[in-house]
Amino acid sequence: MTAPPATMDGPERTDCGGATSGDGQHQDPDAGTEPDARFTLANERTFLAWNRTALALVVAGLGIIQLLPPFPGVRYGRHLLGIPLIILGAAVSVTSYWEWRRTQAALRRREPLPRSVLPVVLATSITGIGALSAVVVLISAVR
Amino acid sequence: MPPDDPEDVDPGLAAERTRLAWLRTAIAFAAVGGAALRDDVVIGLVMLTAAPAIWVLGHFVSRSVRPAQRSGHLLLVTVAVTVIALLALLGALLGHSPASLRDVLPLHG
Repeated sequence: MTAPPATMDGPERTDCGGATSGDGQHQDPDAGTEPDARFTLANERTFLAWNRTALALVVAGLGIIQLLPPFPGVRYGRHLLGIPLIILGAAVSVTSYWEWRRTQAALRRREPLPRSVLPVVLATSITGIGALSAVVVLISAVR
Repeated sequence: MPPDDPEDVDPGLAAERTRLAWLRTAIAFAAVGGAALRDDVVIGLVMLTAAPAIWVLGHFVSRSVRPAQRSGHLLLVTVAVTVIALLALLGALLGHSPASLRDVLPLHG
């Protein structure tokens, strides 16, 4: 019943009025006003969850390269699968920080939240790596 | 009528969830460090020290007053993950790190 956000008083809005030029993303994190603490905390948890995902991707890539026996007939087959996973992990971590900032800025300005690109990035990359691993397994099975 | 959201009664729940999220993240760092320990003792130990550091960082973030401060602290998490990814990439490309403890100390097994 009690909607936590949206206390839009006059003086608070004037605060960010001068800073809304451009895309409104790469600006001073102090601009705007402090949102409801629960929103700040939820944004932080989302960032942390993406970083755990990133760590899991790095470990998966490392595990493929270091622990799996080599694929017969496919030289560097393990590297082919593991290195993209490690790079994806780093990319997810960096992107999640960028999105955390973007979301926090939107919360401070009482603006609609920007849409996250991470689900699309993660889904397409994992689909691609999955297809690649199917090809590697098939080739090594044929030879 | 009961409130829609239990947090309207106790907003401390959100803070507690966030504390737990930091703890899970620290444990994830520890898991990565443990996995790396198998491969390279030095790199593994360095990564293991990241786990308590991340946990402490969570406490700093919960106390940070200025938004820019919080932003800088969270950047450290991304930096840590990126460094670990780079170390993993180096390990994957070079096999074993040249500065392995196994080469320095007469460790057996």
